[in-house]
Amino acid sequence: MTHSDDVTHLAECSACRQRYAANVVPFDPAARRNREHEFTSVAARLERERDESSDMVARYLRDTPTDEWSRLAEMPDLRNNAALEQMSEEVRRRLHRKPREALAIANLSASIAESLAPSQYPSVVLAQLRGTAWKDRASTLRYLARYDEALEAADRGEEAVAPFAALEHDRAVIRLVKGLIFSHTERFDEALSIFENCRQVFREHDDQRRYVQAGIAQGIVLYDTARYADALHLFRDVLHDAIAADDLESQARIHNNLGYCATHLSDFVQANIHFSEAIAKFTDLGYSTEVPRTQRGAGLVLIGRGQISKGLKYLYDARRDFTAVGMTEEAGLCALRIAEVLVERGDDSEARALTQAVIEEFTSFGFDDRAIAAIVRLRDSIDVDGATVESVRTVHDFIEGLRIADQNSY
Amino acid sequence: MAPEAINDPPADLRPIPPACVVDENVFARIYEENCGLLVSLAVRKFQVPAVDAEALAHEVFLSYLRHADEVRDLHHWLIGAICNASRYYWRKHGRNVEQLDTEVAAERPDPRSRDVLTDLPNSIAIAEVLEAMPPRWAHILRLRYFEGYSIKEIAEQQGVTSKYMQKLVAKCLQRAQEIFNGLRARKDKDK
Repeated sequence: MTHSDDVTHLAECSACRQRYAANVVPFDPAARRNREHEFTSVAARLERERDESSDMVARYLRDTPTDEWSRLAEMPDLRNNAALEQMSEEVRRRLHRKPREALAIANLSASIAESLAPSQYPSVVLAQLRGTAWKDRASTLRYLARYDEALEAADRGEEAVAPFAALEHDRAVIRLVKGLIFSHTERFDEALSIFENCRQVFREHDDQRRYVQAGIAQGIVLYDTARYADALHLFRDVLHDAIAADDLESQARIHNNLGYCATHLSDFVQANIHFSEAIAKFTDLGYSTEVPRTQRGAGLVLIGRGQISKGLKYLYDARRDFTAVGMTEEAGLCALRIAEVLVERGDDSEARALTQAVIEEFTSFGFDDRAIAAIVRLRDSIDVDGATVESVRTVHDFIEGLRIADQNSY
Repeated sequence: MAPEAINDPPADLRPIPPACVVDENVFARIYEENCGLLVSLAVRKFQVPAVDAEALAHEVFLSYLRHADEVRDLHHWLIGAICNASRYYWRKHGRNVEQLDTEVAAERPDPRSRDVLTDLPNSIAIAEVLEAMPPRWAHILRLRYFEGYSIKEIAEQQGVTSKYMQKLVAKCLQRAQEIFNGLRARKDKDK
């Protein structure tokens, strides 16, 4: 029996646990009682704080101007574990929609965690609070593509938990973010090693969700390094875990990724099946924006591998669904992707009709004049048979650039 | 046309709602029911000294408090945590061994080095023998002959009866003798 099997059995068998623990080591009963008392008092305190401060952080954030959030670090109400847990949740909620607000909250959280009195909680709990706060900051900075600072924050998080042997799970959560940073900065070997290690820790803690998350991250690195067969194999394994964990969102994402891998391995039938599965699952979940994103991704990767008809169908579906959920700009960008293919195939009339439709949509929604002017010029060049694949792509990239600049100016 | 990036995993996980409302008694029971097991795992599986194992187990319990809401299975989590904590303990322990200051050492020689010329070959031979033995057997011999534990204490620590431990120690000694004879024969042959 291997170690892993052995401890798994212990976790599942009450009789063996009792036998294993019975009369083995002489203990100091008084010290044991003191520790148990400390444990139950801390547990009660954390629970009490949670009960007393429900929605406290949301209220403070709502009632305080964003540029004054840093001053909230002095509020006594917010200087406890419950408030820090709520801040972590607020960071998560805002990460995709308002990353700068998420960063401001992560900074506030780190500032509070670092300045709590050592006597407020046992040192191991304080270390967890600090580790989580720095992890949130690292995660947000990663999202904002500020990778050096993100790495620095992750290192601070690791330092905070380093003195405590029992915080391997917390350490793995921080290192997972660190691995994602390495992955984005193309330090693939380091990322792979971290993900592998994190998976082991999460598996041993029976943390299936994070185990799957780390597996997906590892698969993405394999994909990014063109190890498509390895990535496919790993994603298939992780898919089984996601199914066992009843984690539908991860299943949808893994199917999408399997679609990409299968496309690169020229197994277009399987790719189609996986993309369809991903779309169906996102639809079941009600993730209306993920559906057209998946369709767009599937369309582009298939077209990139020469599967023009299949790819175009996905792109048309994506454009339709982006329009249906009111994502007009995305729908327009999708149309330009289609136009690129049409121009390459010499289907200028359809390409012209599409660009004209985008001009009308963008105009009616009052989009940036520069974007509309660029598409008008593109339509005119199609009219005189002067449009090329490159010119369509230039317009697409220009409009996307305007959007990114707009997001960053917030 | 380059494909877009495949889906990243979510940046963070959604919190799982608490399985149940907890009170102090629940936590007291968790501690009482599992503390012995965690300490035993640290001591028996990872040879963490008993005092440190107690402290590690306590750290595991405290760290559990911030994860309680997301833990699916308490026993899996606690056992995973103590195994990982024990491994980390040894990693850290190995790194933190302080280097001897050579100047101070020269001024105050270690009294144990007085008979080094006769003791050292014996120590090397013993180390070689222990190295060649199965780890558990070597551990038992170390406890018995280097750390001075009684048969009864080792038996308790290993979770077996004293009678069985008595037999096991005899077996270990016999095996050690065989290994020593083998090593000596090989060295004589090399000469």
